[in-house]
Amino acid sequence: MSVNYSFQDHLINRQAEAEAQMLKRFEEGNYTIANPLVVYNAYLVNPLSAVICFETEEETAVTLTVLGKTVQGNISHTFPKAKKHVLPVVGLYSEYQNKVEIRAYRGETNVVTIDVPDVFDGKKVIFSMDTTPEYLQDNIILVSPAGEDLAVGFDYAGDARWHMNLPCVFDVKRLKNGNLIMGTNRVIQMPYYMSGLYEISPCGKIYKEFRLPGGYHHDEFEMEDGNLLVLTDDLRRNTVEDMCVLVDRNTGAILKTWDYKKFLNPETVSHSGSWSDHDWFHNNAVWYDKNTNSLTFSGRHVDAMVNIDFETGDLNWIIGDPAGWPQEMVDKYFFKPIGNNFEWQYEQHANVITPNGDVMCFDNHHYGHKAVEREQFLSADNSYSRGVRYRINTKDMTIEQVWQYGKDRGAEFFSPYICNVEYYNEGHYMVHSGGIAYDKDGNPSEALGAFASSQGGHLESITVEICDNKKMLELHVPGNYYRGEKLKLYSDGINLELGKGQILGQMGVTLEMDTEVPADSQGAMLPESCSARVEDEIDRFTFFSRFEKGQLVILQLEKGEEIHRYFISTTAVPFLAMCCGTFLDSDDRNTRTNINKAGLEGDYDLRVIIDDQKYETGIKIHC
Amino acid sequence: MIKEVNSAEFKELAGQGLVLADFFSTTCGPCKMLSFVLKDVEKEFGDDLTILKVDFDQNKDLTAEYGVTGYPTLVLLKDGAEVGRLQGLQQKPVIIKLVKDHQ
Repeated sequence: MSVNYSFQDHLINRQAEAEAQMLKRFEEGNYTIANPLVVYNAYLVNPLSAVICFETEEETAVTLTVLGKTVQGNISHTFPKAKKHVLPVVGLYSEYQNKVEIRAYRGETNVVTIDVPDVFDGKKVIFSMDTTPEYLQDNIILVSPAGEDLAVGFDYAGDARWHMNLPCVFDVKRLKNGNLIMGTNRVIQMPYYMSGLYEISPCGKIYKEFRLPGGYHHDEFEMEDGNLLVLTDDLRRNTVEDMCVLVDRNTGAILKTWDYKKFLNPETVSHSGSWSDHDWFHNNAVWYDKNTNSLTFSGRHVDAMVNIDFETGDLNWIIGDPAGWPQEMVDKYFFKPIGNNFEWQYEQHANVITPNGDVMCFDNHHYGHKAVEREQFLSADNSYSRGVRYRINTKDMTIEQVWQYGKDRGAEFFSPYICNVEYYNEGHYMVHSGGIAYDKDGNPSEALGAFASSQGGHLESITVEICDNKKMLELHVPGNYYRGEKLKLYSDGINLELGKGQILGQMGVTLEMDTEVPADSQGAMLPESCSARVEDEIDRFTFFSRFEKGQLVILQLEKGEEIHRYFISTTAVPFLAMCCGTFLDSDDRNTRTNINKAGLEGDYDLRVIIDDQKYETGIKIHC
Repeated sequence: MIKEVNSAEFKELAGQGLVLADFFSTTCGPCKMLSFVLKDVEKEFGDDLTILKVDFDQNKDLTAEYGVTGYPTLVLLKDGAEVGRLQGLQQKPVIIKLVKDHQ
C-alpha cells in the first residue's frame, strides 16, 4: 500500500480507558498508605505527574507533598477526607528519583519514590530563573507553546515541575474551578487554527473538549457565569481572526457571535506593518469588562485595541495611533494623548482591563509606526517591546500613559510577535517577552520564531515580574513561548475528578473547491515518493503527503456520484503572522490537509489528483 | 474570452470594458487551480468579461505597474482603471461577485 493509515482514538477516550484500567487495578488490589498504587503519568499527557491510590480504614484527610530538592521546593496539598483516595501528584522533577510523602491527618505517613525519566530528551529548557522562594513560593511560571517547544512550568529554583507532551498551543489560563483551559492539539487548518479548547486538570485529565466550527486561536476568557469567550474564525470565508463567540460551558453550544466586520470596515482600517487583506485584524486577545459590559479585542494588524458593547456590538472606542484611519472615525472613537512620555502601542498583544478601568497590553512595538509611515519603521536592533498601562477618559477622550516596563532594555527584550502582560494588583505585574529572535550572526531579528530558526537563528523568551517598580523575578529560557502564566499546581478546586470527559460542540464543514479538475483515471496508486499517510480520528482525518512545488493537487472523497474536492497548496505559504509555528514542517514540500467529517456520511474512497492524473490510495474514510 | 497575453497585448486590451487580469506563474499550484476556476467564470459572463492571463515572471513591467507582489493575483479593471483585486486562490462565487459588483 502506498498510503499508510492509522486511527487515533480521541484523547478523552484514551484517557477514559487508562483511568478505567487504573481503577480496576485499585479495586483488585489491597492498597494502603504503606503500600499505595502509584500510576505514573496516569493521563498520558503530563509526564511530571502521577496518581496515587490507596484506602484508609477511616475517613481521613490526606496531605501529599512532592518533596523538593530544597524544602522551599516542596509542593503540597491536603485533600478532603475519604476512605478511598485517588490523588493527583503534580510537580515532579524530570530525570529524578522523586520522593512523595503521604501523610494522613493525625495518622500514618509514608514516602514513596517515583522515578521520572528525562522528559525533555536532553534538551535544555532554561537558561536562568532569578527570584526568591519567598516571592514565588509554590507557584510556577508556566510558558505556553509558540513553536516546537512545548508547555513547561518552572519553580523558584528554575526546575521544571510541569510539562505537557502535546502541542496544546496559545493561551493557558486557570479557571475558577481550578482547572486549566488551553487550546487543543488538533489542528483543523494551517497554520494554527485548532479544533477548540481543552478544560483540563493540571495532572492532565481532560474534562471537556469544546469544539468550534471555526476553530480556536490565540485567546479565551472565562465569564463570571463560567461561559467562555473564544476567539474563532469563519473558515469558509476569505478572512481570518476576526470573530469571537460566547460558548456555553456545560453544552459547548455557541450562545453569541461577534463578527468584527460589523463594527470595522476592513477596507478602511489603518494597517500595521504586518497587515494582509486575508488577516486584516489579527485578533490576539479578548477581555470582558463587567463594569462597562464591554469587550476589548486586540488587533495586531491594525495596531489597535478595540472596545465594543457586549450586547449591541456597537463600537465604543479605539486605542491606537490614529494615523491612516478615516477622519470621521478618529474624531469619534480615538483618544488624544495627554501627559508626559506618551507612546502608542504597535502590533500589541494581550489586552487587559484593570479593576479601575485602565488598559494594559504587551506593546510589541513592532515597526514602531503605522504602515502609512513605512519609511520610519524601526529595525530590530533599534526596537524595543514593553508592558504598558494606559489611563483612558471616555468622556473627554483623552489617554495617558501611567506605567511601562521594558523600553529601557532595548532590543534584548524585543519580541515582534506574541507575548503578554498579567495584572496581579496595583503595581504588581508580569511582562512576558516570549518572541525574542536573533539571526545566525547573533543580531536581533524581527523574523518570527519559526522563520528565524529555519534561517539559522535562535530564539529566546524572557518573563519578568515587577512589584512596585522592583523586579522580583526574571525567567530566561531558550525558545519562543506564546504567553506566561503564574499559577499553583494544586488549587482549592477539584484537582482530579474521575469519569469520562466530554466532547462538546461541533466541527465545521471543511471548505471544498467547487470547481472540477479534469484528470485521467487509470487506477494507478499514489506514488511512493509522496510518502503519504492518513491519520483518522472520530470527527476528522488528516492527510499528510509530499508533493513537488507547483503541482496542482486535489484530494477527493468519492462515494458514487458524490464527490468532495479539497485543494492542497504545494506553494510555500508566506504566513505573515506566524504566532504559532508549532505545526510547520521543516520541509515545505510536505503538506498537511485536515478534513472534518462534519457534512459527510458513509464510506468514501480517498483519491488524489496530481496535475492531470487521478491516483488511488486504497483507503476508505468512514464518516 | 480568456487569453494569455504579453505586455504589449495587455496594454491594447486592458482599456476596454471589464477586464480581469490573472497574474500567474507556471510554477504555482494555486495558479493552475485558478485557471480551471476562471474557465467556469468565463462561462458565467461570456463576452461581458475579458480575462487576460499574465505570466508573472515574464512581464515584470506589468507586475511593477500594477503593484503585484505575489501570485496568483487577480486585478479587475474597468475601462483601464483598477476597481478590485483578489490575492491568492479564489472560489468561483467570490470572483463572480467581484465582477458583478462592477458591471
